[in-house]
Amino acid sequence: MINDIFNILLPQFVLGALILLLLILSMFLSPRQYRYARLISIIGIFSSILMLTTVQTEPQYFGLRGAVMSDSYTLLFEFLILMCGFFVILVTKNLVKTIKRNAYSFQALFLTALLGGMCIVSANDFLTLLVSLELMGFSTYFLISVSKGYHSKEAAFKYIITSALSTGVFLFGVSYLYGITGSINFSDIYEYITNNETSVIYTIACVMIVLGLASKLAVFPFANWIVDVYKGCESSVLAFLSTIPKLALFGIICRLIVFPLGNSFELTFVIAILSLVTALWANTYAIREKNVKVILACSASANASYAFLTAGLVSVYNLSTVIFYLICYAVMNISVFAFLNIYGDKNSMYVNDFKGIFHKNRGLCGAYAISIIALAGIPITSGFIAKIYLFTAIANSGLIFIPFLLMLLVLTVVALFYYLKILLPLFDECDNKELLPVMKPAFSQKFVLYICAAITVIIGIYPEILIELCRLIAYSI
Amino acid sequence: MDILLSIPILIFVPMLVSVLLLSPFFTSNEVLVRRFAKSVFVFHFLYSLCMLLFFSPSNPYICKIDLFGMDWIQSLGIKLLFKIDAISIIMCVLTSFIFMLASISSKFNIRKNHKFYYSMLFLLMSAILGIFTSGDMFLFFLFWELEMIPAYFLIGGKWRTDDNGIYDVDAKKSAMKFILFTFLGSMFMLLGILLLHYYNYAENGILSATFSDISEGTIPKGIQVLIAVFLLMGFGVKLPVIPLHSWLPDAHTNAPTPVSMVLAGILLKTGAYGIFRFNYEMLPYSFRVLAPILAILALINIIYTAFVCYAQTDIKRIVAYSSISNMGLILLGLAANTKTGLSASVFHMVAHGLVTAGLFMICGIVYLRFKDRDINNLSGIATVMPRLFGFASIIVLASIGVPLFAPFIGEILTIIGAMQSELSVVIKFAALFSLPLLILSSCYMLKFLHKSFTGDLKEEYVKVNDISMHEFTVLASILAGLVIFGLYPNAIIGLIG
Repeated sequence: MINDIFNILLPQFVLGALILLLLILSMFLSPRQYRYARLISIIGIFSSILMLTTVQTEPQYFGLRGAVMSDSYTLLFEFLILMCGFFVILVTKNLVKTIKRNAYSFQALFLTALLGGMCIVSANDFLTLLVSLELMGFSTYFLISVSKGYHSKEAAFKYIITSALSTGVFLFGVSYLYGITGSINFSDIYEYITNNETSVIYTIACVMIVLGLASKLAVFPFANWIVDVYKGCESSVLAFLSTIPKLALFGIICRLIVFPLGNSFELTFVIAILSLVTALWANTYAIREKNVKVILACSASANASYAFLTAGLVSVYNLSTVIFYLICYAVMNISVFAFLNIYGDKNSMYVNDFKGIFHKNRGLCGAYAISIIALAGIPITSGFIAKIYLFTAIANSGLIFIPFLLMLLVLTVVALFYYLKILLPLFDECDNKELLPVMKPAFSQKFVLYICAAITVIIGIYPEILIELCRLIAYSI
Repeated sequence: MDILLSIPILIFVPMLVSVLLLSPFFTSNEVLVRRFAKSVFVFHFLYSLCMLLFFSPSNPYICKIDLFGMDWIQSLGIKLLFKIDAISIIMCVLTSFIFMLASISSKFNIRKNHKFYYSMLFLLMSAILGIFTSGDMFLFFLFWELEMIPAYFLIGGKWRTDDNGIYDVDAKKSAMKFILFTFLGSMFMLLGILLLHYYNYAENGILSATFSDISEGTIPKGIQVLIAVFLLMGFGVKLPVIPLHSWLPDAHTNAPTPVSMVLAGILLKTGAYGIFRFNYEMLPYSFRVLAPILAILALINIIYTAFVCYAQTDIKRIVAYSSISNMGLILLGLAANTKTGLSASVFHMVAHGLVTAGLFMICGIVYLRFKDRDINNLSGIATVMPRLFGFASIIVLASIGVPLFAPFIGEILTIIGAMQSELSVVIKFAALFSLPLLILSSCYMLKFLHKSFTGDLKEEYVKVNDISMHEFTVLASILAGLVIFGLYPNAIIGLIG
C-alpha cells in the first residue's frame, strides 16, 4: 500500500493535501485574503506536476490491488489535465474577485475536480472509475453554480440530472459486464473476453458503459444539457468544463475501448452512428443561434463527436490522432474562453455585442481570431493539422467509413459558417470608434490568451514533435 | 543560382511582407505603404522573370525544407517539398505579373485601410504561389485553404470612403458565399486526397504524399474513379464548372477592381492547375474515363454561360460570366488528353488571365468615373475618354479571338487539340459545338463595347478625365502581353514541349 502510494500515487496525494489545506484555511482566513487562494492552488498544481516525475511508467504498474494503474499514457493525460488546470486557474481571476467569501472553497473544489480527472485516467477497475467520476462530477456541479444569478443554478441542476441518469446507465452496463465476467477489474475482464466467446449481453454492456461515459462529452442521447449549461456558466468555468472532463473521459474511453470493451464489433458502429448524429445535431443547431456561448457549446459537442468517432475505430494510429486532437483542442478552447472572460462575462453574449472591438483591442482580438480560426480548421494553426490528422485516421479505417467521413467533412463547412459568424463582427466597421470598449485584462488572463494562441500557431507550423510524442504514447498503451 | 533563385524566397517573401504590413510597427502613412507594396510587387515580378530566364524544362527547381532534419509530418509522409516545373513557372510568372498590375491599379480603387489591404494582397499572392509550386498533396491543400482568409477580406472588405451605393451592400454576403462554396469544394478535395494517400500507401507501399511518389498503380479501378470524382468536385468549384459556379459572378462583381483582376486572372486558374496536377498526371486512368463527362460539362460551360452573359446588363457581370465561359474552354483542352490540348489550355490560361484582367480594369475605370455599371445607363464614353476607348476596343477584340492576339491562339489550339483526341467521339463533338463560342463571345463583348462607349454622352459627365498614368501603364502592359504571346506563342508552348 505505502509502496503503491510512493510509486504512482504521489501527484494525487499532493493534490489531496493541498485541497485539505485550502479547506482548513477557508475556515480561518478572512475574505479579504482571498488572493492567496489562487496562489495556493497554483502551488498545488505545480508540486503535483513535479511529483509526476516520480511516477513509475515502465513497465506498467498496478497499484492498490489492481485498482489503479500507471503507464506513460496515464502520465501524459495527468500532465495535460494539470496543465489545463493551471491555465484555467489563471483565468479565474475575475470570478474569484466576485466570490471573495468562497474563494478558498472554490479553489478546493477546483482542485478536487482535477484530482477526480487524474483518478479517472488512472483507474483500472470500474469501482475506482465510478468513484472518481463522481468526485469530478460533484465538484463540477458546484463550480457551475458558483457565479451569481438564476441561470447558473439552473445549469447546475440540469447537469446534475443528466449526470445522474448517465451514471445509472453506466452502472447498468457495468453490472451486466460483472455478470458475464465475474470481475470489475479491467485486466481481468480483458483476459476473460479474449479467452471466451462473447454474447449479445456483452455488446449491450459495452454500449451502455460507453453511453454513460460519453454523456459528459455531450454525445447524442445525453447531448442536450450542453446548451443550457454553457448558457448559464461563467466563462472561466467553461474553460474548465470544455477541457478537463473531456481529457479525462477521452483518456478512459480510449483505454476501455481498447481493453475491456475491445471484443465487440457492434460497438464501433454504435459509436460511429452516435457521433455522426451528434455532429449533425450540434452543427445544425448552431446555425441559427446568436448567443456566442451556445455556439461554442455546439462546437464543443461537435468536436467531441469527431474525436469520439475516431476513437471508436480502434487502432493505435487512431489513438495517436485522438490524443493529438485533444491537446490542440484543449489549447484552442482555453484561449477562446479566456478571451470571453477578458471581454466581461455575461449570461447572454450575443454575436453583435462584439461589433468592431478589433479596432480598439488589436492584440487580444488577434489572438482570439487565431483560436477561432484554429477551431474552424484553417491552416497555419494547429486546428488544421489536427483535423487533417484525425481525418486520415478515419480514411485509413476502411471503405465502409467513407460515408461517415464525407458527412463530417460537409459538416465542417457548416461549422466554418458559425465560427465565422462569431468571428467576423469583431472586424466590422464602426461609426463611432470612441464608444468601443477598451479591454483592460489582468496579466494572468492576457498571459493565458497569448500563450495559448502562440502554441496554436507553433503547432500549426511545426507539429512533428508533438505528433511523434502522441504516437509514442499511443504505441505504449 | 540555387540560393539566389530559390522557391522559398518566391513564396515566403510575400508572406513576410504581409506580416510586416500587418504589424503595428510599420508606418500607416498611405503613400509610403502604397509605394512600398508596389515596389515589392515589382521586385517580385522581376525575380520571377529571372527564375523564368534561368529555367530549363529538363532541370526543374526543387526545394525541400527540413525542419531540424525531419519531414513536416513524418508519420504521414508529408514533406515541405516545393517543385517548379514548366507549367508551374508559367503560372508563377503570370501570378506575379497580375498581382503587380493589381497593385498599380489599387491607387484609385482603395481609399481606406491601406496596410490591411496590401497585407491581404500579399498573403493571397503567397498562397496562390504556394498552390502553384507545392510538390506535396497536403501542402497543396494547406495553401488552397490558406487562400480563403485573404480572399474573404479582399472581396468583402470596405475599401472606399465614399458611399458605393447599391453595389456595396452585398459585398459581405458574396464573400461569405465564396468562402462557403470554396470550403465545401475543398472538403471534397480533402476526402479525395485522404483516400488517394491511403490507397497509395496500401497498394504501392509508399508512405508519402508527394506528387512524384503517387501513382495509380494497382489501386482498384472503382476507387480510382471515386477519388477522381471527389477531387474534381473540389476543383470544379474553383474552376468553376456549371452547377458549382454561382459564387463567381457575385464575388467578382462585388470585389473592388484590383481584386476582381486577381480573382479572374489567377484564382480560377488554380482549379484548372489542380485538375492538371491531380487528375491528369496522377490518375490518368480515371481521367480518361471521366474525360467525356468533363468535355460535356465544359461544353455546357461554354455555351450556356455565353447565353447568360448576353442577358446581363452589369458590365462586371458580363466579364465575370465570360470568364466562366473561357474556363470551359480550358477544361475542354485538358479533357482532350492530348499534348496539344494540354499546351493549349495552359496557353489559354495565360491569355485569358491577361484578357480578363484588362477587361476588369476597364470596368473599374468606367465605374470609377461614372458611378454606374449598367450598360443601359452608360453611353458615349468614347467621346470623353478616347484613349480608354482605344484600349477597350483592342482588348475586347482580343477577347473575342481576333488573330494577332493571344486568346485567338488559345481558342484555336484548344479546339484542334480536342479534335485530335482519340478517347471518345464525345470530345470531338464538344470541340465542334464549342465553335459557336467565337460568335457568341463577339455578341456579348461587342454589345458591351457598343452600348457603353458609343452614343450620346449624358451632360453631367462632360468633364470626366481620360485615363491616368497608372491606368495607362496597366492597360498598356496587358496589351503588350497579349500581342507578344499572340505573335510568338512558342514562348509558352515551347516551354511545355
